Amino acid sequence: MNHTLKLTIQRVEGALIRALGLIERRGFAVTSINAEADAAAQQMELTIEVRSAGRSADVLARQIEKLFDVRAVTLMPAEEPAVALEESMAC
Amino acid sequence: MKGAQLLVRALEQEGVDVVFGYPGGAIMPVYDALLDSPIRHILARHEQGAALSADGYARASGRTGVCIATSGPGATNLVTGIANAYMDSIPVVAITGQVPTPVLGTDAFQEVDIFGITMPIVKHSFMIRRAEDIPRIISEAFYIAAEGRPGPVLVDLPKDVANAETTVPPIFEMKSPVRRRPDPDQVEEACRLIRQAERPVLYVGGGVIMARAVDAFRKYAFASRIPVVATLKGIGAVPTRHADYLGMLGMHGNLAANKAVQASDLLICVGARFDDRATGRLDGFAPTAKVIHMDADPSEIGKLRHADAGLLGDLRYALESMPTDLSIEPWQAWCAERREEHQWRYDAPGEGVYVPDMLRRLTEADKNLTITCDVGQHQMWVAQHCHFQHPQQHLTSAGLGTMGFGIPAGIGALMADPTARVLTVTGDGSIMMNLQELQTIRRYDLPLKILLVDNASLGMVRQWQELFHEERYHEVHLSDNPDFVVVARSFGIEAFRVTRRDQVDGAIRRLLATEGAILAHVCIDPKTNVWPLVPPGQTNDVMLEGISA
Repeated sequence: MNHTLKLTIQRVEGALIRALGLIERRGFAVTSINAEADAAAQQMELTIEVRSAGRSADVLARQIEKLFDVRAVTLMPAEEPAVALEESMAC
Repeated sequence: MKGAQLLVRALEQEGVDVVFGYPGGAIMPVYDALLDSPIRHILARHEQGAALSADGYARASGRTGVCIATSGPGATNLVTGIANAYMDSIPVVAITGQVPTPVLGTDAFQEVDIFGITMPIVKHSFMIRRAEDIPRIISEAFYIAAEGRPGPVLVDLPKDVANAETTVPPIFEMKSPVRRRPDPDQVEEACRLIRQAERPVLYVGGGVIMARAVDAFRKYAFASRIPVVATLKGIGAVPTRHADYLGMLGMHGNLAANKAVQASDLLICVGARFDDRATGRLDGFAPTAKVIHMDADPSEIGKLRHADAGLLGDLRYALESMPTDLSIEPWQAWCAERREEHQWRYDAPGEGVYVPDMLRRLTEADKNLTITCDVGQHQMWVAQHCHFQHPQQHLTSAGLGTMGFGIPAGIGALMADPTARVLTVTGDGSIMMNLQELQTIRRYDLPLKILLVDNASLGMVRQWQELFHEERYHEVHLSDNPDFVVVARSFGIEAFRVTRRDQVDGAIRRLLATEGAILAHVCIDPKTNVWPLVPPGQTNDVMLEGISA
């Protein structure tokens, strides 16, 4: 099942790989990713589409939320963001 | 002041009185600074020993343990200990030296990316790039290690940063963890579920100990008279002889505990995480029960089993809100019958040493004994048969199952409380994993008692090969073991051998009466198995039983 996660992370050493590593370790495949840096806020906005056969995306979102470099996590409804993400990347 | 001095001052300010470590090139500035500090450094003989000692120190003291190693192999040798702390939610700060920043990423001598290597097994990690960041990072590391669900934090310190001069004062604001109250609606729902329940069970895990909620748990359990089962790490949450305690649940649990859980209509999970060794096949675990899940970790609630009420926050707040005036007498009577029916038996045939009985009698002879365990059959016998008044008396590697944990953890427990009476129960497989730490015991004259259960085999693997691999034994026979009595004596540790049942009483007296370190080498039948056993992949309704020689 596909889900889209929107993450705001601190731009500090290891933050990006820590979040992505956790997603894969917890049984989710990353199918697409978009990253935008906000230099002024020292933050990075990530839009990540993930897929898993049976794991709970809600639990994954809470696991990501626990990371100390992560400022915000939003779990998007299943189908609609997958299209939206592709469209946004096409632009 | 140099960065390394700033680091040591920061440790002092955190109240650190002992660190476990091993020096080497990249961490030398820190060792130099430690010379001028009141912090006591305990030299392990392998970095894994240092990490596991820090873990044992944290478990026994309730404070954050600290271990130190150099870069490269020193850092990688910490990895098993860090993973052990991660799996059991133990607050540990691991400090590693690193090659100087100008050569980072160049495959310099003794360079490894320990920051990357440990990422999946730490709660958080830091690479210090500037000396002036040291006070803040150390403060954050200790805060993160202890807050909420505790865990290990890695701090990687490049040598040039350690040697850098800085004028930043070693003063910083120390943070204290905040106690969080569970959601009132969920509390109300949990209370409603408890009042409705006819067959409730309290399923207690190590989180109760980490949250310092043992008193609150006992108060609730004793007042409500709800039957209690414990995970491996939850043992001792109530005294093991208490009338409402049914024993450990799970793969090697007590039949009464498993039967009660399987028959329950409400499982009140307090600081436990539905680990597979506890639940057996998950879809058949407590199949008719609703679930109240109390935990400090938001990601645990609902992770493996749906929670009908999830109480996120400080366990003490959750427990004190639950109702105690329940009408569950028929259920209490049923559980009491199961408890009576499935009492452990100690009338094993033969003249050989029956370890379960020896362990039981050891903890009867000294009710304040702290036991640190290695991993294997003897670990399960300790969990099943030893009696504990408090959970800090039972230090065991539960989540990771680290062979070699026992002796370093015993060292850590003795450093936490030098007056404690500490016994390590180990096996002939496990002791060889960190045998070098016998020298640490000798170096600091630590009065660690060691009970080495020797079945000349890797007993738990041998048991599984017997039961689940058609007796196709492979690499489990250890009949070529060294003479462990001679080995211990060569480290300067008193040692003696026990081979017959009629020697057990004398052995217990000698172990407990000896002032210094001592090792009892107990030889047992290699075919002895641990019973009962839920076969892998089965539900906890299926428990194999057998007779141990």
